[in-house]
Amino acid sequence: MCKRILLMSVVVGVAMSGSAAMAGDAGAGKAVFQSSCSICHSVQSGQNKIGPTLFGVVGRKTGSVAGYSYSPANEKAELTWDNATLDKYLESPRAVVPGTKMTYGGLKDPTKRADLIAYLDTLK
Amino acid sequence: MHPRTTALLALFALTAGPAATAKAETAPQHLLPQSIQVASKETMEQLTELSRRKGPVGAAAKKALGVYVKHEAREREFILPPLTLLPYLAEGKVTPDMAWALAMTDRVRAEREQIFEEHTRLTDALSSLAEAATKAHDKEAKEFAEFAATDDLNDMEILEPTLLLINDILRAKLPAAH
Repeated sequence: MCKRILLMSVVVGVAMSGSAAMAGDAGAGKAVFQSSCSICHSVQSGQNKIGPTLFGVVGRKTGSVAGYSYSPANEKAELTWDNATLDKYLESPRAVVPGTKMTYGGLKDPTKRADLIAYLDTLK
Repeated sequence: MHPRTTALLALFALTAGPAATAKAETAPQHLLPQSIQVASKETMEQLTELSRRKGPVGAAAKKALGVYVKHEAREREFILPPLTLLPYLAEGKVTPDMAWALAMTDRVRAEREQIFEEHTRLTDALSSLAEAATKAHDKEAKEFAEFAATDDLNDMEILEPTLLLINDILRAKLPAAH
């Protein structure tokens, strides 16, 4: 029994160790947003810049912000911006949505990604 | 002829001897659309001016300038010249003397991923400039960075697809020899 509990703990631990499951720091994520995203994205509802507004992005379908002209790739991606998808996309945008016009190479630091996603999750 | 092209030809002539001089003098030169020449010159001047500032804004602008110079050289080499054909293509005119643009637009199609990666480097550099400008309360530098980033997206949204369309039109309408 103890062994089984230990094994389950290990399995759960491994599953939770992915960056998407890491509890990010929204405060630190705001700083990441300012340095990496704010030139193209607003966090105000309805305010699109070079990129679509990130207000309400967590849980949103890809290509769904009204008034924003998406790339065909993003429009047809049919993804939901949940934490795991955002984590993969932020790490390497073109790996998740080939053909996206977002000229961003990716945020390679998993802690920064988790922080950023935690911040984005506050934008509701 | 663009001053940079003139300088390169002069350098080539100086280093390659008489035969090369004759070749360089007769090599066809392809202009760029005038509006783009002016806009590009203004961007270069603004970024150069920002790069002379002291502190983080100047340092970020200097880095962005380095990326922009490479980007502009690539654009002048094979991305922008075919755009001069647009007024003719819009009138339905395709003539054999346009064949030079095939190799350039073929290259755009072949190097789309490299071009995109270059744009990501440019966006990163402009993002750093915007961040430094925000911290320094430098409105002019911040506005420049945002404007340049918009121009960067313009390349992805309009410029590159236009070049691919030019390529398609030339491939479809030029005589088979080309």
